[in-house]
Amino acid sequence: MPKIGVYICHCGENIAGAVNIEEVKKFVEKLPDVVVVRDYLFMCSDPGQEIIKEDIRKGLVDRVVVAACTPRTHEPIFRKACEDAGLNKYYFEMANIRDQCSWAHWHEKEKATEKAKQLIAAAVAKARLLEPLEDRYVELNKNVMVVGGGIAGIFAALDLANAGFKVYLVEKSPSIGGNMAKLDKTFPTNDCSACILTPLMVEVANHPNVELLTYSEVEAVEGTVGNFRVKVRKKQTYVDWEKCTGCGACLNVCPPKARVPDEFNEGLSLRGAIYIPFPQAVPKKAVIDPDACISCSGRWFGEEPRRTKDGKPILAPCEKVCPTGACSRDEPRDPNGELIELNVGSIIVATGYRVMDKKHFKEFAPDSPNVITALQMERLISATGPTEGKLIVPSDIPKYLEWKKKVEKGKEAKLEARKPHVITFVSCVGSRDERFHTYCSKVCCMYMLKQAMLLKEKYPDLDIYIFFIDVRTPGKDFDEYYMRCRKLGIKIIKGKVGGVQRLPDERLLVRGYDADLGKPVELISDIVVLATAIEPNTDLKDLARKLGINVGAEGFLRERHTKLYPVDTMTEGVFICGCAQGPKDIPDSVAQAKAAASSAMSLLAPGKMRVEPLISEVNPEKCTGCGICAPLCPYGAIEYVEVDGKRRAKINEAICKGCGVCTAACPSKAITLHGFTYEQVLAQIKTIARKGVIEEV
Amino acid sequence: MEITEGVPPVINLTEVAEREKEEFEKKVSELIIEFGAENLLACMQCGACASICPLARVGFEWYNKKLIKAILIGMKEELLDDPTPWACVACNRCTEICPRQVAPFEVMFAMRRLMVEEFAIPTLAIEGLRSLYEHGHAVYMTGREARKKVGLPENPPSTDSDEKALQDLRTILKNTKLAELGLIPME
Ligand SMILES: Cc1cc2nc3c(=O)[nH]c(=O)nc-3n(C[C@H](O)[C@H](O)[C@H](O)COP(=O)(O)OP(=O)(O)OC[C@H]3O[C@@H](n4cnc5c(N)ncnc54)[C@H](O)[C@@H]3O)c2cc1C
Ligand code: SF4
Ligand code: SF4
Ligand code: SF4
Ligand code: SF4
Repeated sequence: MPKIGVYICHCGENIAGAVNIEEVKKFVEKLPDVVVVRDYLFMCSDPGQEIIKEDIRKGLVDRVVVAACTPRTHEPIFRKACEDAGLNKYYFEMANIRDQCSWAHWHEKEKATEKAKQLIAAAVAKARLLEPLEDRYVELNKNVMVVGGGIAGIFAALDLANAGFKVYLVEKSPSIGGNMAKLDKTFPTNDCSACILTPLMVEVANHPNVELLTYSEVEAVEGTVGNFRVKVRKKQTYVDWEKCTGCGACLNVCPPKARVPDEFNEGLSLRGAIYIPFPQAVPKKAVIDPDACISCSGRWFGEEPRRTKDGKPILAPCEKVCPTGACSRDEPRDPNGELIELNVGSIIVATGYRVMDKKHFKEFAPDSPNVITALQMERLISATGPTEGKLIVPSDIPKYLEWKKKVEKGKEAKLEARKPHVITFVSCVGSRDERFHTYCSKVCCMYMLKQAMLLKEKYPDLDIYIFFIDVRTPGKDFDEYYMRCRKLGIKIIKGKVGGVQRLPDERLLVRGYDADLGKPVELISDIVVLATAIEPNTDLKDLARKLGINVGAEGFLRERHTKLYPVDTMTEGVFICGCAQGPKDIPDSVAQAKAAASSAMSLLAPGKMRVEPLISEVNPEKCTGCGICAPLCPYGAIEYVEVDGKRRAKINEAICKGCGVCTAACPSKAITLHGFTYEQVLAQIKTIARKGVIEEV
Repeated sequence: MEITEGVPPVINLTEVAEREKEEFEKKVSELIIEFGAENLLACMQCGACASICPLARVGFEWYNKKLIKAILIGMKEELLDDPTPWACVACNRCTEICPRQVAPFEVMFAMRRLMVEEFAIPTLAIEGLRSLYEHGHAVYMTGREARKKVGLPENPPSTDSDEKALQDLRTILKNTKLAELGLIPME
């Protein structure tokens, strides 16, 4: 006869406030096989657990039912308590009388009490039928894939690699670096972005434990924690990276028709079809953008060359200048690139963000070249930007580039680009806005202050206005930026800009509101900078689906628990960090990256992982090999094998998650889900159907 | 009180800034700082000073916080005709409450100094100055009967009853900037 102990938790007032504990106790004492009933203020606290352990140690009880909050968070705690006291931890059952009872029926105390009785009775009914189970162990593959090579991905990869783990760093663009590579100086402390980022890019690329896979994307993911099988597509570069030395000879040879907006300069300048993303790119290799390339020589890769009258093959300008023959068109190239397979134990997603384009904001004259996003402003003031950091109005960048070309050719030329006198910043563009994103993008207040400060310090005569809804500068050393801007005489105006009008002379009329003076204001500005929202990449949902992880309503990757499991996901072994999880600055992105790396390490370091034995098992005697179960399994854990010459289902216990789909579907009742057997579950249902009366066995 | 004289319904910041640059010798904020409000630029427009300022409470237009904001965006002409700074009672509650140590009271007084410099003093203030010179009290004493009733001397023990003290005060005033400005007759 089992000896069942029932332990009822008050959860402070959370349960006791709606459920009459004394009444429940009296009811439970009379249930079959129940030998001990106790209650306590917080059962999960140390003294609470001690009550249970004491009863086990004294031999009073050999089955434990805790009636409390929810097994979602607390089942592991009580199982552990049982185990510590020497009881098989699967002799434990929990009745959820808080989340599903007291909280749900807070204003119907009598009904809540009645429901609590029945839920506990059902748990007791199941507890009588519990069996002891043993934990299983699965072998873990110790390699890790990091997706996304921005600052977050780089740090995650470095931490893991330094700890001795093999890392595959998968980056979709030709170079790692991400958005941080585009920034000029970075708050807090205004370090030059390139100076602190480039050494890390080089370090991660040269690390013996890191395999860099740039220009690559995740195509499919199979398997589960410890044993993921990943297909990665290496996109076609059309340049032989073995030969390309990154010399840059090909960079400016494409004809004007083959020039497209330069991603690295956020469209402020053009790049050729053959390009290296930026001078500090890692790896520093050229690629050909097949959509932009116009095949100057009239042939695609692998086609016969056209020939001059005297029979010489006609070469494209890129082929002509390349000293190593890396972009030769003699060989055919597969436009699909190459598909490779990786086996990893854990995956870290660090795919970052993109900024909203200005085109969405018709009210801010997006057609004007002098209305720019803040990320474009970063490029405009950066020494690696389209104007080498020279501050001119963006509408004159073409003039600047013309001038530069002439000067480079040794011609004499005068630069006639207009310098701005007034710059206006507009906050919360697309953030905190029901029409676009309702969240705060978190970094724009700070980067606006940073940019304003850098500009004003370099050009004290500039008149700078910042229009804010409110300034958000939480964090160490952050508010200093705000005060510094005030003291520099930057005009900070509370009130959001409602309209920008493009003037014939390419200046802009800005209409705002000064909440302090209570009046509309207007001004003429040479440049208007929009702090456009940080938003999820367009392909993030797709990637999340491949990995079996969730995105939140706002479109960023969702963590398992906002406070306690901030870099974990609902799929074990998959971690997230950086802006893919939500808008954040570099310090926070790095902190999360390190957290994700250490989570992956503590998961993989033991080399094997304990898994609960709550999985399904096929009884080959009962199985008829009908074939219903395998296609239903969401994890692909079921295969069919020959048993005594007959087709029988077999469940791979390393893959099975114990979801129960097959168990419920099997028409022969041949599958047992341990911990949730037919008998156990039916006993629970019957008890509830009989309003708390347990059927005698 | 919505549309004050001098400030149009829409403030044109470009005009304000250009005027500040072209017509004035110095930025308004620089002048105010020179006239004693050293910490002017630290103001973050939190409004604490306005919440307790008696001027704001009785409906004066350019009370501390708002005056500071107007100065920060470069307004000057619009403010010169306004009597608010002269109504400041120097209670200094704003100075105590300000989280940025701006001392808004100093801004009020610096504004007075600027107004004097620009000969933009409201009649109210000129009357006060005249009275100060003539009687030694900016606000001339009334209610002597009342003093008698509660047992006080009819004439207070100040310049009002002490000719020498009054002469001393006049000497002091004659040696201040006030005499140079010639706003009131001082024989
Ligand atoms: C205008 C502006 C100024 C800023 N200034 C500052 C500042 O001064 N200080 C500060 O702390 N922060 C600043 N930030 C924020 C900073 O940019 C971010 O915190 C930081 O870049 C986040 O890094 P990340 O690695 O998470 O993302 P990202 O930098 O976006 O990197 C993500 C990487 O993943 C790659 N990727 C994307 N999708 C895939 C995919 N499906 N497969 C493979 N790879 C993929 C991308 O190509 C990219 O290389 C600023 C942001 C903006 C917009
Ligand atoms: S063929 Fe070469 S030079 Fe011509 S557009 Fe293509 S990449 Fe550029
Ligand atoms: S950080 Fe500032 S500008 Fe950006 S959305 Fe939040 S409040 Fe607006
Ligand atoms: S000192 Fe002047 S400005 Fe300050 S609270 Fe008193 S009356 Fe108002
Ligand atoms: S209390 Fe100080 S900081 Fe706040 S508005 Fe007044 S002067 Fe400015």
